[in-house]
Amino acid sequence: MNVTLVSVLFVAAALVAAGAFVASWRRDLGHGLAGIPLMFAGAGTAFAGVSRFAAVPAGGAQLLGQEVAVLLSVVALAAVALGVGLAGREGPR
Amino acid sequence: MDSLHAIGFYVSAALSVAGGLSVAFLADRSRRGLALAVVAIGVAGIYLSLSAGFAAIVALVCYGGCAVLLAGSAYRAVEPATGGRWRQLGAIAAAALMAALAYAAYRGDFNRATYFGGTIGSAALGRRLLAHDALATEAVAALILVALAGATLAWRARDRTR
Repeated sequence: MNVTLVSVLFVAAALVAAGAFVASWRRDLGHGLAGIPLMFAGAGTAFAGVSRFAAVPAGGAQLLGQEVAVLLSVVALAAVALGVGLAGREGPR
Repeated sequence: MDSLHAIGFYVSAALSVAGGLSVAFLADRSRRGLALAVVAIGVAGIYLSLSAGFAAIVALVCYGGCAVLLAGSAYRAVEPATGGRWRQLGAIAAAALMAALAYAAYRGDFNRATYFGGTIGSAALGRRLLAHDALATEAVAALILVALAGATLAWRARDRTR
């Protein structure tokens, strides 16, 4: 059993597609918000995988992909917080 | 990559994808939050098996926070925005997206990429985030500030109109 970059990218594709599916399948707009962190998680997985499988530079490890994965996680949380706030404003009282 | 890492990767991948699909089909709000928490654990496990420990901790906190936000009592449902036909079209588009991304991954000549295992490297990642790429970090911090301020204003406006 081995993990290749192709398998990492497959998992990332599955997460992105699951997020798109959640965003489109849930009936109301607020429930579709749950698709945002899924899509960001898929993108972050692809970045972290490429970072781990890319050639190591002479000066040290290749960390740009991990860095982008960290930033994407934080951006997903901010987007969901804003979305929940707006949904709370527009939703039934 | 040794067998332990590979098993961890595939188990985490199965957890995250199953949790993601559960988010689409579960009816209860708290169960959807629980499924999103499972996704957070799965994604953190994927990052950990890829030797990205710091990213795993951040992902666990952030995606867990998303689960708490979406399962919390502050959440309100919004009026239905789409009809059944558009939902089905969206599902087909998601499947097409999956097929296109998987085809690109398979045909992209990534099979020859070799795995470079290494230490977790939190210190090096911190140096990149706070020194080399500080502008990107500050941009994300500004985005969080705007998002939280916007969410607070939206809630205050809602309470005022009650």
